[in-house]
Amino acid sequence: MKTNDTSRREFISATLLAGLAVTGCSSGKNPFEPDAATIETVKPSGEMIKLLSVDGEVIEVDKAFLKPVPSLPQVSNELARQGIPGKKFVMVIDLSRCKSLKKCQSACNHMHSIHPGQNWIKVYPQHEAEHTAPYWQPTTCMHCDEPPCVKVCPVDATFKRQDGIVLIDSDRCIGCRFCMAACPYSTRVFNWEDLDLPKEIADKPYSCETSVPQKKGTVGKCDFCPDMARKGELPHCVSACPNGVFMFGDMNEDVVTNGSETFRFSDLVRDKAGYRLMEDLGTKPSVYYLPPVNRNFPFENKEEKEENKKS
Amino acid sequence: MESLAKEQIIKDLLPQKFGKAGKIWVGILLAFCTLGVIAYILQLKNGLVVTAMRDYVSWGIYISNFVFFVAISLVGSLITAVLRLTQAKWSTPLTRIAEIIAVSAITFASIIIVVDMGRPDRFYNLFIHGRLQSPIVWDVIVITTYFFVSILLLYFPLLPDMSIMMQRKDQTGMLWLNKLYAYLGKFWKNTAAQIHISEKAINILSITIIPVAFAIHTVTSWLFATTYRPGWDSTNFGAYFISGAFLVGAGAVVVAMFVFRKAYHLENYIKDDHFDKMGKVLVLLALLYLYFNVNEFLVPAFKMKKSEEEHLMGLFTGEFAYVFWFAISTAMLIPIFILIQKKGRKPLPAFIAGLLVVIGSWFKRYLIVTPTLLHPFLPMHDVPESYKHYFPTWQEWAIAMGSLAGALLVVTFFARIFPIIPIQETITEIEEHEQA
Amino acid sequence: MNKHSKIFFTAILLQLLAITAFSQAEKNDLSLSISYFNSNNHIQYLVAHAKSKIDGKFQMIPNINLSFYIGTEDAANLLGKAVSNDKGDALLFIPPNAKDEWKKAAKVSFVIVSQKTKAFDEAKGNVDITKAKIQIDTLADKKITATLLELKDTIWTPVKAVDMKFAIKRLDADLNVAETPTYATDSLGVASADFKRDSLPGDSKGNLILIAKVEDNDTYGNLSSEKIVPWGKPITYYTEFGKRTLFARRGKSPIWLELLAYSIVLAVWGVLIYLIGQIKKMKKLGLN
Repeated sequence: MKTNDTSRREFISATLLAGLAVTGCSSGKNPFEPDAATIETVKPSGEMIKLLSVDGEVIEVDKAFLKPVPSLPQVSNELARQGIPGKKFVMVIDLSRCKSLKKCQSACNHMHSIHPGQNWIKVYPQHEAEHTAPYWQPTTCMHCDEPPCVKVCPVDATFKRQDGIVLIDSDRCIGCRFCMAACPYSTRVFNWEDLDLPKEIADKPYSCETSVPQKKGTVGKCDFCPDMARKGELPHCVSACPNGVFMFGDMNEDVVTNGSETFRFSDLVRDKAGYRLMEDLGTKPSVYYLPPVNRNFPFENKEEKEENKKS
Repeated sequence: MESLAKEQIIKDLLPQKFGKAGKIWVGILLAFCTLGVIAYILQLKNGLVVTAMRDYVSWGIYISNFVFFVAISLVGSLITAVLRLTQAKWSTPLTRIAEIIAVSAITFASIIIVVDMGRPDRFYNLFIHGRLQSPIVWDVIVITTYFFVSILLLYFPLLPDMSIMMQRKDQTGMLWLNKLYAYLGKFWKNTAAQIHISEKAINILSITIIPVAFAIHTVTSWLFATTYRPGWDSTNFGAYFISGAFLVGAGAVVVAMFVFRKAYHLENYIKDDHFDKMGKVLVLLALLYLYFNVNEFLVPAFKMKKSEEEHLMGLFTGEFAYVFWFAISTAMLIPIFILIQKKGRKPLPAFIAGLLVVIGSWFKRYLIVTPTLLHPFLPMHDVPESYKHYFPTWQEWAIAMGSLAGALLVVTFFARIFPIIPIQETITEIEEHEQA
Repeated sequence: MNKHSKIFFTAILLQLLAITAFSQAEKNDLSLSISYFNSNNHIQYLVAHAKSKIDGKFQMIPNINLSFYIGTEDAANLLGKAVSNDKGDALLFIPPNAKDEWKKAAKVSFVIVSQKTKAFDEAKGNVDITKAKIQIDTLADKKITATLLELKDTIWTPVKAVDMKFAIKRLDADLNVAETPTYATDSLGVASADFKRDSLPGDSKGNLILIAKVEDNDTYGNLSSEKIVPWGKPITYYTEFGKRTLFARRGKSPIWLELLAYSIVLAVWGVLIYLIGQIKKMKKLGLN
């Protein structure tokens, strides 16, 4: 990966510093990201597009470097297994803001065409002890740094990438469900039957990064939307939450955002006493929770009330 | 006198054709197998949704059947190896019964595990993409190894009997059987050199099979013990499983002993004394298993950790209480009570005790797999109601019973083709006994 | 009779009117908005947003065909077409054919027109922007200044009292340089801020991309200007990826596991192969 030579890097930086008065951003490097440590997330596609610059000049830019990114080609299986270098994705969930609207759930289910009835995000009504606070806890896959699911997979169908994301390769999975038994967070679901998807979704070429379409007889789970991360966009649950409960970012950049608010990750978790679920198990999850202090909404468990009405 | 006795022995021990009872037995087993195959075809077509397994109870009776089969297969190492190495000569008639039960069980363990897979069409991925870090891969390696060791341990003592069978060509009844015997053992001439090699090989195998047998069930127990779940997160599991395996294997041998003795009139070879001795072995193993159960349940119950409390109370007094106490009593308590008395170690009561052990052990394996899955760390939520319970569907029962029937069928057919009691070894032993 | 037929006719007419009014009332109004983005004084693009008030709530409308125009709604001024996505947004980078219209004056307008659908009639939206740019600069002690200039005829003049944001560019979003949300430009068009994010991880040399931006301004649209500053901490990151662990990929298991497993397998299978050799030996002895 570190095959970029320094001289070219410095040339590009100099060009940027000059204020981009020059035309000709048609080099093979992404002019919108400085050097190799935050190494290109996007490779030049080779497809050049002509645009009108702010100065009224006609310029040519590689399509892949445009932000917002119009579209990206799918990555190969090998690249999907390696992940985006230099990044360590992390999520912060603010429990004081969650009202169990479940917009996160419906967005995730919709975008990944999950079997009806199953959810990759579960929103638990938690009340650990009689005198402790009741609160809603949205739970995604923890993308653990010591993932018990990856340890037990016999065929390398679930794997941990260098950017911290744990993915599932539905083309490799044999459906033994050992990973489901091993996960203490109950976050994995199984495709027990054929999903009966509409044609345009079923015909999409499968990639571990999009996790669409899901396949019968294989396991599925939250994937931190790596296809969105490659484009520099937020996972669907993060954008869908109207209360800004989910925050997503790169720990190596020390920043998390929920789309409208951006925070320095280390400050946020330290100042608000963030914690991780089941820390004592040693799984080293990548999802941090901010305790439900100064709740934005009172805790109302409508589901429980309905159940009590029924019984 | 000697040659007459020898002839008598051979005549008694030759495989016999199926009588009426035998044919009905085979018919029933075939019916179960066919039903199992039909159910499996439906499962292949529609997916595992035809079972009652869902996201929480993601392992059901297929896996408990798998553990049950692996457990029973350990009997090969117990009877054939351990008793042989400790010079317990009385066990000689039982070695082949034990060994064929072991081979049949381990075969069907592999079959039922493929049945449980969501994508059996990708089975080869285990070999071309296998990860050495995964306990499943360890299990595949050990099961394959154990299978081959057991086959060899079945084969070597079978060789002398093959030449006896070939000499009695007209009495076997089926022409292709003669070809089979010839293929397997034509070269056996009962020479001193061959006997020497064979005996050495059997000794080596008897020694080798013991660590392999320990490995196989320890690794199977690690499919559960390497997870965090309450009920599975136990350091006790390896020893707990192995003691349970020896118990159910011994119980299966007692049942088989009784059935073969009755069906083939082998009263002179499987004597009352054998039931007495196997009964004592069974009591010992049951007490050992009870000891491990006490460790497995009472110690966490003393602490009542939050995650384990729901699980343990579910077993002791909750939704699994009936099955739990049924399993404990039929697998351990009642058989101990029966077999501890001298009268209890007669053939019929011993057979009943053995049968109880086998049935109780099957439910014990179910209790190992399912209740833990219904008590996850995070409460069951955001799932359809059906996900929160588990009772196997008819397809699951059909396939599970079909696999059990298939295992029994293999044993039955084996006894039809090969002498179920080693002929040559019996003759040798009687000759040695008379000379002494 | 005449009077009756008149009443009769009127009644029918009213019915027809009611029916047409009713069917028209079924169609909700689509409201379109268009925003202009200037990215680092280099790339410019337009984002159109389609929404409609349904049942009292605003909903984002996907799958609307939108046509972008510069200046007036003429075919010659068509910039391009796009379809609104799930969030009701459509994006268009300004293409070269807008050059002449763009260079005409300091003020430019963009028009968005939606195609008529079953649920919605044709709708229009527009935005008028005055060309402006931000010039960003840094001083000692990690001070940042940015000047906002607008184009008046052909002269760039400073603009005062406009809110600007200063941030560091990150993967999905921008982290503001200090807790203050915005900084207003003074009479010289200059806004300044202090960089307060100490030890923020940068690239391998500690470089960060500083960005000054004006967001959602009625006159100027969205502007931004970027500069690379060496105020970050050189990044160090650690990953277990590629190391031998229990959760690594196939072929990267810990050494002790591989040694243990292979030695056990070799030992046992060695015995088995030896025994198969013994069978062959017995065969030879027997068949002689």
